Amino acid sequence: MSDLTSRTREKMPSLTERIGEYGWIWIGTVLLFLISWVVAPGSVSKGALLSMLPFAGMLGIVAVGHTLVIQQRGLDMSAAGSIALGGMLVSMLSAWGWPLYLAVLGGLAGGMLAGLCNGLLVTRLSITPIVTTLAMGAVLTGLVRQISHGTPIAAPQALKEFATQRVAGLPYSLLLAVLFIVVVATITRRTIHGRRFVAVGVNPETAASAGIDAERYQVGAYVAAGLSFSVAGMLFAGYIGNASHTAGADYLLPGIAAVVVGGTPFTGGRGSVVASGIAALFMTQLGQMVLSMGASNAVQLFVQALAIVLAVGLRTADFSMFRMKSAR
Amino acid sequence: MTEHFSSISAGMAGKAMLQLNSVTRDFPGVRALDAVSFTVLGGEVHGLIGENGAGKSTLMAIASGALAPTDGQVFISGKPIKGDPDGARELGLAIVHQEPALMPDLTVAENIFLGMPHKLRPQVSGMAAFARQALDRWNPDLSFGPEDVVSSLNPEQRFITEIAKALAAQPRILVLDEPTEHLGAEDVRRLFARIRELTAGGASVVYISHRIREVREIAERVTVLRDGQGQGTYPMDTLDEGRIIELIVGSAIEHPFPEKGGNLVDAKPVLMVRNFSGDGFRDVSMAVRHGEILGLAGIDANGQREFLRALAGRNAGSGNVEVNGKAVSVASPGQARKAGIGFLPGDRHHEGILADLSVRENFSIRSTETDTVSGLVSEQRERSRVRDAVAGYNVKTPSIETPIRSLSGGNQQKLILSSVVGAEPAVMLIDEPTQGVDIGARAEIYRILREIANNGTTIIVVSSDAAEIAGLCDRVMVFSRGQIVRELKGDDVVENNITEAVLTSTTERHRYEKSIGWFWKWAAGHWAPIVLVGLAILAVGAYASSISPFYLSARNFSGMLALVGTLALVAYGQQFVLLIGEIDLSVGPVMGLGVVVGSFFFLQDAGPAMALLGIVMVLAAALGVGFLNFLLTEKLGMHAMVATLATFIAVQAVSLTLRPQPDGLIGPGVYNVVGAKIGFVPVLIFVAVALALFLEFGLLRTGAGIALRGFGSRRESARVAGISPFRTRLAAYLLCSFFAGLAAFPLMIQVGIGDPKSGINYTLASIAAVVIGGASLAGGRGTFLGALFGALMLNQVNVVATFLRLSDAWTFYLQGIMILLGVAIYSHSRRMAASH
Repeated sequence: MSDLTSRTREKMPSLTERIGEYGWIWIGTVLLFLISWVVAPGSVSKGALLSMLPFAGMLGIVAVGHTLVIQQRGLDMSAAGSIALGGMLVSMLSAWGWPLYLAVLGGLAGGMLAGLCNGLLVTRLSITPIVTTLAMGAVLTGLVRQISHGTPIAAPQALKEFATQRVAGLPYSLLLAVLFIVVVATITRRTIHGRRFVAVGVNPETAASAGIDAERYQVGAYVAAGLSFSVAGMLFAGYIGNASHTAGADYLLPGIAAVVVGGTPFTGGRGSVVASGIAALFMTQLGQMVLSMGASNAVQLFVQALAIVLAVGLRTADFSMFRMKSAR
Repeated sequence: MTEHFSSISAGMAGKAMLQLNSVTRDFPGVRALDAVSFTVLGGEVHGLIGENGAGKSTLMAIASGALAPTDGQVFISGKPIKGDPDGARELGLAIVHQEPALMPDLTVAENIFLGMPHKLRPQVSGMAAFARQALDRWNPDLSFGPEDVVSSLNPEQRFITEIAKALAAQPRILVLDEPTEHLGAEDVRRLFARIRELTAGGASVVYISHRIREVREIAERVTVLRDGQGQGTYPMDTLDEGRIIELIVGSAIEHPFPEKGGNLVDAKPVLMVRNFSGDGFRDVSMAVRHGEILGLAGIDANGQREFLRALAGRNAGSGNVEVNGKAVSVASPGQARKAGIGFLPGDRHHEGILADLSVRENFSIRSTETDTVSGLVSEQRERSRVRDAVAGYNVKTPSIETPIRSLSGGNQQKLILSSVVGAEPAVMLIDEPTQGVDIGARAEIYRILREIANNGTTIIVVSSDAAEIAGLCDRVMVFSRGQIVRELKGDDVVENNITEAVLTSTTERHRYEKSIGWFWKWAAGHWAPIVLVGLAILAVGAYASSISPFYLSARNFSGMLALVGTLALVAYGQQFVLLIGEIDLSVGPVMGLGVVVGSFFFLQDAGPAMALLGIVMVLAAALGVGFLNFLLTEKLGMHAMVATLATFIAVQAVSLTLRPQPDGLIGPGVYNVVGAKIGFVPVLIFVAVALALFLEFGLLRTGAGIALRGFGSRRESARVAGISPFRTRLAAYLLCSFFAGLAAFPLMIQVGIGDPKSGINYTLASIAAVVIGGASLAGGRGTFLGALFGALMLNQVNVVATFLRLSDAWTFYLQGIMILLGVAIYSHSRRMAASH
């Protein structure tokens, strides 16, 4: 009996282990495009891809922000407000006659400031992240409505051009998203601060005992998330052509869904912004495929829900069997 | 007291009360118990001894049903038990855990109530009196009572609650796990007296301790465990102390300590501390020299550990600290690290290791700079450094990518030690260097520490083991009440001197005293959120009526109260799930689904049969979603946020399938029934208030309500107390969806048509209402009246904002500020009222 158990413990890594938590989304995305090509060729035509990719890019940037916060065991429900605020600030400041770069900086500063408030409330006052960011979301929504008086503001011309132009056949916004994800991934995986960031997420107490000022990284996650959301908001305003106070509403939950589908667990620490970015592409293409097959919005939603359940189910199913074994 | 146990016949003496037959238990990577057999006879005190990590607590967790054995059987009074704490308790086993298995958000009385076997459980109304009696039987002069919330008790008081609970269960087998760790001398005497009473009545006691003298005093037979293996059971009087130690450690121990550092008087001081004060210690000054190992001894909680942690930047401290002649700040962990101070914490599991990360990541986290080339971590360098450390410190691990949690305690400790050393600190602070480490690795760690010191690092060690301090340290300082009271040097550093100094310096065990302002104590209570929110509602209302007379009009109230009723109903549902520490995002779409389903049945000319069918269908749809949420969280193990996010989306999909466009006008019957009014007041609000009172009563005054809160407060303790996680969770999710389904009816008359997108906003609104009403998202705390008041407050502010002609931006600002303000006050007061 004891021989048997010790042998199973040292067995070769299973297929699941070799693919790893973040491998699934790559396989799934490749499969999805293959399936799209077979069942809905219209959804992988050049035109369809070019109109889908900017949205995937924006969702990807939002998902990066969510990933960072979830790595710190948090959750940012104020994303919708920050997205709307980013677009609104850049448009408003441009309308005031600020040059674009300053307006963009203003937009970024707005998102980061909102994130800073979230982070400080969560760490200093120990208010649960969901509640803090829910409240901050309400405040940001109020702010955006105050700025806009409830009517959309036209986005600056240069931003519109940037968001819709292409280079080498690819939309700028997609390239920006890829660049953004690569930079964030490199920082979290390959720098001192990234390593410390992960350590704080896994266990803030251990991190502090190892000489890391944990609170700084926890607050930093919210600031970085605010930055991500405002970048996405600006791109969105540019793409749509104007900034509206409802701009972010469609990105809050899909953004979190992308993180989940990408494989970042809610238990903190570990996580992959790259997987979240790929998952954003996956979710966007999934919606397009279903729609171009002539299915209704209802089916599209249903498929998304299913994707979440399957994504989590696939990853946990194998492990939970291990757990059952050891519990019996 | 004795008549209490007279029901237990003396005929049980000598019979096997508790029997474990070759019990094996595996944890990931470790075999905690290997075919251990153990028999406890009626009327005896049976000692169970062994080192930390020998498997004593695991063995008793299996005996009490808290853990299931991997292999082997357990019999209590001849009946088999396997992983069923409730069953073990019914058979007369009570266990006092070293870390009390109490539910912190519940009162002492509620905890004692839940801890009773069913036949002894009092009526809920008699719960407080029952608890009072149980506490009085221990000691009539306790400083706390049945109504105190456990989180406000200090460790000693919690432990007494745990003991009183176990004794009140009239156990036939009482298991005591390291009972004297948290008790003062007087309470230890009380405990021993109770033990003798119990065994005189024929019951048996299992006494777990690592203190040999104590076990020799109380036990008649003793079983020794070493590294998860039984070393036999012996009558106490056949063993002398030396033989016991031999059984515990495996052999007559040769000296495990390395040579000391020799003459260090001329070595230069590296660490200078002057008038350093903080929570638990004050005005501590010392100079520690190059290559010296300084030991800090003292009875627990006398400031030595607090002092060490403050030096590491983990606790606040003020005073002068110099490292190598330079004044440094230790205000934060980062600053302490930069000052050249490394820290190895005592609680390895909670703050030493990064359990989920690999050996490699655990090693390099303290010295990532070393591996960094032009800003980026060189994984090649990192790997080679980790391999060197693993080899150099003799860490046994399958690979450097293995998660550290699957290593044994000793190997984890050696790796973390190598990691601290890898950062090349000038001063190393070490809290309990060998806690939970087996004897072999222990000698290795002592050798390594001496080597590090010989290489020039200054080391300060805090340890509760006098032999360890004596063997390892060059110099010892004894703490008492936060100050250094004795210093031992050179040849004086021997175990007896240290023990004597420690014992004579502290005549009495330090008692924890903490005064909390009455306001914070009150604000942490059950009713405070209701009162605070109620006052805010009145204040806002008074202000609004002074601005606009229309505020007090019947029409305004009528409309507002209908909205409040709707939100309150769904908030009650959300409250159930928050009480168990989870969340349900799907309630909003469930309300929308209810409206859509209703629009097929409540037609203009619907008869009563059709209407009845409609009611059943709406509620059935809601309950179906609740059951799905339960399956996803319980069976697939999904995080509640993720599971209900999926159902949030899926339920909308169902609504859109049923009604792609808003269609199906809601018939007049619904308006007449759900929209009925008494005078200008909607009947709905009466229903909502009545429900709140009913649910509140159920939550506070029924066994099911207490169990629900207990489960949310601390799941493991609740499970050990016999509360089924499965049923509790099922009930919470079903009730949540049921109330969301109920809330769909008033929503129908607001929307008027089968609109698939209706209701979605109620998800966030329900969370906001419950949170303003005082619920904690961590579970265990919350009230239904609070949820009602939260709903009232949210609507009140919306209405008032319109009266004040504030822009709609202000309704959002006010909502946000209200939530933050409320929660900030509640969470602050709960922290103030908690003893830690």
